[in-house]
Amino acid sequence: MLVDLLQNTLDGVAIGASYALLAIGFTLIFGVLRRMNLSYGPAIMLGCYAATWTHLEFQAGLLALALVAVGATVLAGAYVERLCFAPHRRGSAIAAMVGSFAIWMQLEEVATLALPRHIYPFPVLVEAAPLQFGGLFLPRDAIVSIGATLAACLLLHCLLYRSRFGIAVRAAIDNPMAASLAGINLSSVFVRVFALASAIGGVAGYLIVATHGQVTPMLGMWSTLKGLLAMMLGGLGSLPGAVIGGLALGILESHSQWFLGPQARDLVAYLLLFALLAARPAWMTRWTTTRSAS
Amino acid sequence: MAALLAVRDVVTAYGKIEALRGVSLEVQEGSITCLLGPNGAGKTTLMFTAAGILRPRSGSIQFAGKDITSRPPHAIVAAGIALVPENRLVFPNLSVQENLRAGAYQRGDGMEIEADIERLFHRFPRLRERASQNAGTLSGGEQQMLAVARALMSRPKMLLMDEPSLGLAPLVVEEIFRIITELHRDGTTIFLVEQNAHMALKVAQHFYLIEQGKVTFSGDPGSLAEDEVISRAYLGSARQ
Repeated sequence: MLVDLLQNTLDGVAIGASYALLAIGFTLIFGVLRRMNLSYGPAIMLGCYAATWTHLEFQAGLLALALVAVGATVLAGAYVERLCFAPHRRGSAIAAMVGSFAIWMQLEEVATLALPRHIYPFPVLVEAAPLQFGGLFLPRDAIVSIGATLAACLLLHCLLYRSRFGIAVRAAIDNPMAASLAGINLSSVFVRVFALASAIGGVAGYLIVATHGQVTPMLGMWSTLKGLLAMMLGGLGSLPGAVIGGLALGILESHSQWFLGPQARDLVAYLLLFALLAARPAWMTRWTTTRSAS
Repeated sequence: MAALLAVRDVVTAYGKIEALRGVSLEVQEGSITCLLGPNGAGKTTLMFTAAGILRPRSGSIQFAGKDITSRPPHAIVAAGIALVPENRLVFPNLSVQENLRAGAYQRGDGMEIEADIERLFHRFPRLRERASQNAGTLSGGEQQMLAVARALMSRPKMLLMDEPSLGLAPLVVEEIFRIITELHRDGTTIFLVEQNAHMALKVAQHFYLIEQGKVTFSGDPGSLAEDEVISRAYLGSARQ
């Protein structure tokens, strides 16, 4: 029984690491630009489709595919940023969000036109057998996922807390107007944060498809749902919250599937979010309201 | 002597409401110039227009001979103007030091930035005590000093100050105005918006009165009886 619990938790952390990366991407864009990017998942899908195409055409190695996935996601993200978010800098947040929703569909169409099948194989990260210790199984690609997520979080922390760019980003999160009065070019910061979020999303997408060994057209929708859910579970707008939310979602799903079957997996997660919001509506705004300067 | 800042016929509106209805004024280099007026007269709107936060519908703003009308805020900072905004607007989740570094964002000279931070800590010892504390934990007076110090980090030719005494205790207000005098003595041009007309007139070389979006008086502190200035600054003149 204990072994089952531990195994589920371990599996949950493995998938939760990717959820955490997705949530971090959403949170960066929401926290800095104060906009919800609904094309985030589809850009990741496009990135993974580009990597899949590269694999089919060139049989490229894992590292090359990772670079293609990240690079293509960043390009798709730049397209979304220029089209949906840059024009509405001073304007309506809703307009930007709805625009990104429209481009979601466009990006998915482009991807499925290029690669029309329902499923494509993707090279698995590590072929070897899972590690075993004390009755627990740890798949090797889970180690890669968790390791990559840790590395990304460390990199992000250094970027935010030990660099000039980080000061600009955190100042923009605290008070965008005061940041521009201090001489910070908000447009330039927004573009770079978008690229960073896209790169992180590309990594998340690559880890997910390489772990599952396949790509499907549902990747866009799936990434969006998991990322948003993880972000909301962890508290909207908080980066540590995004990580915790992602891990919590993974662990919750893993245990729900074990005890209640695969159908319960998504249901329990949504029920938890509903319960959280019903009991504590302020949960959604606690990180956004502490931001206002006195 | 040519004015450092020349505002000509600036009209700034919020949608249909014109907050500035053709404002013209000048700030001479090396002076403390003060803008007084009642609430809602357009003082903050003018500061935001000069700082690039708002775009005027018409009119022009020249700084050191260059046209800065409608330039974005970071370009205004690059031109040599820094605004200390109303309500200080420090970055609450950044430390005092990081707030100062944010003010120096456009500069590339690392060693000089550190030297400037040291100089500002010397001028504002309370900030040195709280260097690693998050700015949100500072008192109102300390935040005001931090906001001024942050603006000074960009080494501006002209400092815009929007109601620096707002919400501060009288002793702290005196300290702020002492600092304003010091900065002026050290060569910074200061354009000051204040509700506290009494203190402002003690330090300014020239002042303007703005009422309902238009400049209604221009002169030096002796030229209008102080009580009339104060009543027009707080209440607006009866004729309008």
